[in-house]
Amino acid sequence: MKPTHHLANHLRQFRRAADITQEQLAERVNVTRQTIFSIEKGNYTPSVALALQLAKVLGVRVEDLFELRSGANDEP
Amino acid sequence: MNRSPVGNLAGSRPQWVTLIASGLIVIGLLMTSVSWWFLLLCAAGIFGPGLLREAGVLHDQDELQLLAAYRAGYHAYIAAGLMATILVILFRSSKETIDSAQELATLFLALLSFTWFLSWLISYWGPQKAASRILFCFGSAWFVFAILANTGKEWTGWTALLLHPLLSAPFFLLGLSAKSWPRLTGLLLVGSAIGFAWFFGMFRVDHMALVNKAFTAILFIGPLLGGGVALLTATKPAKALQERNGEEDDTGDQDR
Repeated sequence: MKPTHHLANHLRQFRRAADITQEQLAERVNVTRQTIFSIEKGNYTPSVALALQLAKVLGVRVEDLFELRSGANDEP
Repeated sequence: MNRSPVGNLAGSRPQWVTLIASGLIVIGLLMTSVSWWFLLLCAAGIFGPGLLREAGVLHDQDELQLLAAYRAGYHAYIAAGLMATILVILFRSSKETIDSAQELATLFLALLSFTWFLSWLISYWGPQKAASRILFCFGSAWFVFAILANTGKEWTGWTALLLHPLLSAPFFLLGLSAKSWPRLTGLLLVGSAIGFAWFFGMFRVDHMALVNKAFTAILFIGPLLGGGVALLTATKPAKALQERNGEEDDTGDQDR
């Protein structure tokens, strides 16, 4: 079945707003910088635990960081 | 998440587990000239960390690294399974044989290791960065080989020494273009892989022994084909997200 939703994320925007580097964020949630980079690029969807950690470190809600968007062919 | 018992994961420096494993692999390979039992050191370096992680003793990787390892294991299973099936069909339906069981075992070890490693790199770094770094390694190996092949007893003159290493230039150029033009680079890589396959006589019958052909395919054609296919098949989602987010960064290395 074709996925009809995609996950958009705003991690990079919130990280920049918090004025921290990828490496600093990675250090705070204990992952590699590459993992933060992959999430920001949309190449990797983090686990719920990591998403919650990221939101906590950045002081936002998970729903602010990640957003489920409908596909073009979806019904409203 | 629990803190890693081996320290901070965030830096780009290799972890001590990687360093020890790499050391064991290199020492093991070098010592095989003394006795093949030293291959056990290689096995400890290659499989040891994975065994310790599965046993719950070692917690040195984050979730993306572990996911990449699981995906790589699945890909290695598919590659080895396909190879085994093809060999069974060949042996059962023709007079093809492999003289040495050692060669067959070594072939499977090489295939499993290569597929696992390539898949892990692509999953962890992403297709663009992985293809770029693979091409730089490939080009560097070619460059060193070209120099060594024209020095010492093999000396054939300055012209050969200067021109032969230039053959590695296309790999460096493709390595640079992988990040900016992934689809074009992917096409060129697949084309190069087909060219190499033709050059090494992969499409000719009885040109080389079956095992030699397979080794050549794994070592020379595999990195190009793997990188090319990864670039062609896996660039769309990342690009789509960038466009949605209105971001311009396509280099893969920016930090801020």
